[in-house]
Amino acid sequence: MREGTTLSFGLQIQPQPRMVSIVRRFVEESFEKLVGDPEAVFRVSLAVHELLENAAKYAVGDQTGLSVHFEADGSAARIRLTNQSTPEHIARLRASIEEIQSSDEPFALYQTLMRRTAGVEHESGLGLARIRAEGELDLSLEIDSLMVTITASRAPLRINANE
Amino acid sequence: MSNWAEIVKANDFAAHASASEGKILVNLTGTADLTVKSHLDSFLLEVHAEAQRRQAGVVTVDVRQLQFMNSSCLKSLVWWISTVQERPSEGRYRIVFLSNPALRWQLRSLNSIACIASDIVSVQA
Repeated sequence: MREGTTLSFGLQIQPQPRMVSIVRRFVEESFEKLVGDPEAVFRVSLAVHELLENAAKYAVGDQTGLSVHFEADGSAARIRLTNQSTPEHIARLRASIEEIQSSDEPFALYQTLMRRTAGVEHESGLGLARIRAEGELDLSLEIDSLMVTITASRAPLRINANE
Repeated sequence: MSNWAEIVKANDFAAHASASEGKILVNLTGTADLTVKSHLDSFLLEVHAEAQRRQAGVVTVDVRQLQFMNSSCLKSLVWWISTVQERPSEGRYRIVFLSNPALRWQLRSLNSIACIASDIVSVQA
């Protein structure tokens, strides 16, 4: 693999729970053969799983867009997930990502959320914090009306702005 | 050794528990994701009830063949651990995870769980 090569793929899928592990395995098995850093592959596949599960639980409509960009040496990655959601969920999502972004100690926040959400049913509240703490990826959120895009990334990638 | 917990099977996930004297052994295999979360919740309720009934001192959870666990199922484990932690000291038991270092999620996630309850949870490689 040439140094500096970027690997990319995109999917449009129905956000169903049974699809989530299938896509994660696809990411793992595909990139394991192409990327020289198993830790980096793990981080990306973890993020793909947790983001897709969010979509499976909260997306409105039957289409979710997933894109994954990966530097072949494992030095950088970007995962983007776009779907339509409800105003209520968008408000929760915005608050959750703001809390994660404002924390200087992602692992401590993750553990705080574990304790805080232990008795809360029907919402994990942990997935995004896990991406930040265990996956060591930065999170950002873009909102366009009821369309939301969550980006999990690590280090800048050389990707065209319109991708 | 008696097998008392129903084997939970959904997709490629399976859970099984057995008991011997003051010890309970739980075995989780496959993939624990959103599709099996409710099964895992019921299973852990049953494990906790049996541990209480038997006055178990330790519950060993073998996850060496558990390929992945999502955050919702991790939350189920946190609920279980918190429930044990909240018991009076005489009603508590230890939870020992047998882990597989080759499965990368386990190093991070199990240690995260152990950190919130180091008094009752330990992880063995």
